[in-house]
Amino acid sequence: MSFAVPVKATLKAIATHLPDHILSNALLAEELGNWTADKIEQKTGISKRHIAASGETASDLGVAAVERLFATHDIDRSAIDFLIFCSQAPDYILPTTACLMQDRLGLRTSCGALDITLGCSGFVYGLSLATGLISSGAASNILLVTADTYSKYINPADRSVRTLFGDGAAATLITANAAGASSSIGHFVFGTDGRGGNDLIVKTGGARYPRTHASSIDIKDDSGNIRSGDNLFMNGGSIMNFTLREIPKMYSNLKSISGHDDLDFDYVIMHQANKFILDALRKKMKLDHDRVPYAFEEIGNTVSSTIPFAIAKLMESGQIRHGKRAALMGFGVGLSWAGCVLEF
Amino acid sequence: MNELHAGLADIFEIEPGEIHAGTELDEESWDSLAMVSTIALFDELLNKEISISALKACRTVADIEALAHD
Repeated sequence: MSFAVPVKATLKAIATHLPDHILSNALLAEELGNWTADKIEQKTGISKRHIAASGETASDLGVAAVERLFATHDIDRSAIDFLIFCSQAPDYILPTTACLMQDRLGLRTSCGALDITLGCSGFVYGLSLATGLISSGAASNILLVTADTYSKYINPADRSVRTLFGDGAAATLITANAAGASSSIGHFVFGTDGRGGNDLIVKTGGARYPRTHASSIDIKDDSGNIRSGDNLFMNGGSIMNFTLREIPKMYSNLKSISGHDDLDFDYVIMHQANKFILDALRKKMKLDHDRVPYAFEEIGNTVSSTIPFAIAKLMESGQIRHGKRAALMGFGVGLSWAGCVLEF
Repeated sequence: MNELHAGLADIFEIEPGEIHAGTELDEESWDSLAMVSTIALFDELLNKEISISALKACRTVADIEALAHD
C-alpha cells in the first residue's frame, strides 16, 4: 500500500475590490448625530468605508476582484480547477453562487465550485479547504474569493455597527507547490462555539425565521440604536469577551503545534474587526505594533476579506515577500475562529 | 483601584483626578463603546470577564468598582 505524498500549497497572489460609493465619517456624523466625524475616526480608527450599490451583490464584488487578479498577475483562467466562494450574502437561496461565478468568470466546466457561509473566520477556513484539496491532489490552482455586503443587513440608524462595517472582496490564488518550493500554508487551528450564535446574527430570511411584516418593524434598543429583526445585530460586549477569551489561546496553540514563537513570525495578521478589538488583543498578546498590521482604516471591517486586504497591502509595499512567515487569525460570527501559519 | 480609575478616565477622556467612586455615568459618555472598552480594561487589569448587561446596570463608578470585587 502506498500513500500520495501530501502536496504543499502556496498563497500565490491576491487582488481586492471595493465598491465605488464611499460612506464618510462626515455623512455618518450627520445621520447618526451622536459623534462628530473626528470622534468616529478617533474611536473606531476608521476614516471611511465603501458601500455596495443597490443591486450590487457580494458576487459582483467577488467577480471584480477575480478579474483584477487575472489581469494584474497574467493568470490563465482556464488553469483554475476549483473556486471557493466565501460569503454570507449569496445571490440566491439556491443555486450556489460559486456555480454562477464559474459561468461569469468563464472558468472551465471541469472546475469544482462551492460556497462556504462564514464571516470573519472565512478566509482562514477557506485556506484550510484549499490546502486540503491541493494536499490530496484533488486540485492545483484554487481561487478563494471572499466577499460580503453587510451594509445591506445594517439598519442605517444602528450606531453600534454602521460605523464599523464596509463592503469589499478579495480574490486569492492558491496553487500547488512546484517541487522543492519552500512556501506553504498550514499548520491550522480551528474553533467553534455555537453558544455565541445570537451575538452576531441576521435573524430572519433563513429557514428558521422567515421574514414577516412583524420582523421588519424597527425597534429602538436601550442604547438608542434602531434595528428590526431583519437587520444585523451585534452584541459588542459578548464579541469582545469571546475575542479576549479565545484568540490569545488560539495563538498559543498555533505556536505550540507549529513549533514557533513570537519572534518567528514576521507578521501576526488578525481579522481587522476594529481598532478597539485589535488594540486589546495586541496588548493582551504582548505583540509589537510593527508585527500586527492594521489595514481597516480606509475600508472598515470587510468581514472575510479583512485578512487578504491586509496581506495584499503588505505584498504591495514589499513587506511581505518570499521567505516571510505570518500567523493569520480570523474570528467572529458563529462564533467561529481559525488560525494558520503562512510561509510566503 | 487607581489603575481602574486611570483606565476609566482614559475611556471617558477626562483627567484621572475627576474619577471617584461617586462619579455618575452619564448617558452620553457611558455608551456601548465605553462599555466594550471597560470589558477590555477588566480583562487587562483583573483577568476578569464581565458582561455588557452587568455594565449597563451601572450608574456610578462605584457600581463598576463593585463588579471588580465580585
